[in-house]
Amino acid sequence: MSVKVWAFSESPEVANEMAAAAEALSKAAGGSYAVVGLDGSAPRLAGSAKLVLKGPGSLLESPEQAAEALSLAAKEANPDVILVGSTRNGKEIAGRVAVKLGRSCASDLFGLTISGGSLKGKRNAFAGKVVGDVSAPFPCVATVKVGVYQALPPSAAPETQKDAGALLSKVRLVERREKPRGTVDLKGAKLIVAAGRGVKKKEDLVLVSDLAAELGGAVGCSRPLSSDMGWLPEEHHIGLTGVTVHPDLYLAVGISGQLQHVAGIKDSKIIAAINNDKSAPIFEASDYGVVGDLYAVLPAMMKEVRGRRH
Amino acid sequence: MKIAVCVKHAIDEAELKVDAGGTPQFAGAASKMSTFDKNAVEEALRLKGTHSGDVTLLTVGTAEAKKTMKEALAMGADRGVLVAVDPMSIDTGRTAELLAAAAKKAGPFDLVLCSEGSSDIYSGLVPPMLGELLGLPYVGYAKKIEVTGQSAKVERSLEDSVEVVEASLPLVVSIVSEINEPRYPTLIQIMQAGKKPIEEVTPESILPGSKPATPQFVGMKAQAMARKKLVFEGPPEETAKKLVDALASEGVIPR
Repeated sequence: MSVKVWAFSESPEVANEMAAAAEALSKAAGGSYAVVGLDGSAPRLAGSAKLVLKGPGSLLESPEQAAEALSLAAKEANPDVILVGSTRNGKEIAGRVAVKLGRSCASDLFGLTISGGSLKGKRNAFAGKVVGDVSAPFPCVATVKVGVYQALPPSAAPETQKDAGALLSKVRLVERREKPRGTVDLKGAKLIVAAGRGVKKKEDLVLVSDLAAELGGAVGCSRPLSSDMGWLPEEHHIGLTGVTVHPDLYLAVGISGQLQHVAGIKDSKIIAAINNDKSAPIFEASDYGVVGDLYAVLPAMMKEVRGRRH
Repeated sequence: MKIAVCVKHAIDEAELKVDAGGTPQFAGAASKMSTFDKNAVEEALRLKGTHSGDVTLLTVGTAEAKKTMKEALAMGADRGVLVAVDPMSIDTGRTAELLAAAAKKAGPFDLVLCSEGSSDIYSGLVPPMLGELLGLPYVGYAKKIEVTGQSAKVERSLEDSVEVVEASLPLVVSIVSEINEPRYPTLIQIMQAGKKPIEEVTPESILPGSKPATPQFVGMKAQAMARKKLVFEGPPEETAKKLVDALASEGVIPR
């Protein structure tokens, strides 16, 4: 059997990650793959077969219309597997396409293989405590974790186009605001110092941000600090429902280490923690820990780091 | 305004035990209302408070799930429909089909609310599937919902941007937990919740022609957390030095 895999994302960069997954799958299983993107993304897409979806309006503004376009194209070409980058809009598109095509849909997969007419993969569950094995018989749709596969470079191959039909969007975009990124993008940061509830006052966050600045890192936080206290913008929230990070060093300051938080930092190279509670779960998830008062340990660390530099 | 909220009774991920061989122990595991569903219930109750109307819970779960439904009824929901099937035995597509069928049976609703994903599996696929299956406008990842007459203005939180969108009712919306702070029921509310109706239906009765069950997982293992777990205790000057030494020798801080 010759397996046909599609690699889709509304974001060209993520589509190229899907292309890397699709290329590996089609090589191993014998078959072909195509990279599918939205109108205007063709020059930024990888692969030798590119398909670009066009809509009545900007498909980037309407996951509903993007899903319609993708499913119309898939009905014609009938790929065995449709990989969709697991972004928030990607999940909407994948879920809708699965319903439109009557296919099953797996979510947040990594470690993909093909065997016995099924897509196999792994996914995290129970806030990262468990890794599950998923098997989706062809034809299927699967969202794939972003940041796992190394994106293929854009290619100069020509694209074919597919029109989305005339589906009118039931949701109207009024306004889009870019979220403030802060000084450093957390997703790409090599070093992150993150604050949790152990920090008693908003003004005290300066202890955390000063150390981060001294080390050339970014500032993150656990959910309570952004959602409940509002001390930092949402974009700093690291965890299952926030940003997933993979720095070389993740230093958790006054963070107890709830599973939802740890789920977002698991892929860090080194995790270190400072907490005054010896039994805090963060120490179970850390390489190095200091049991102590952050108000004493942070200034001491700062002095130590500065002393070595100057 | 007639509002439906999808709620899930989920295994408590924090309490889930793993045996020596790394196999999760689901039998007898502690369970709870899926964390972010509390925010969905809260949002429904907030909207009910502003616009009047009532709130119906839609749940796919075993008899055990009535615990979660009673908690949401105690928070202020009015009634519940339980589709009696083990959610771990069916895939997300099937769950969405059953919720859509339950919504059609108990509805029509002006608004169907879900959380962005369940705290146990966190697939995030059921809400858009529900929108598609019901043929209604769908808005995902809402951090603010304003209903005026027959239309809604919703702020949705994406990875790098916030979008403001408009859609007319009836509407399906998934919410993020930042949207609100869930209320705690009072003792009186908890006692009164027992009197509120929960209708139990079988999957076959609301969705004839059932498909064979396809489980979401074919296997599960505990995540290997191979961390060094070296913990330093003592005066701050000493522990800070030890930590900085360790991080420097790992090569993860500038020397």
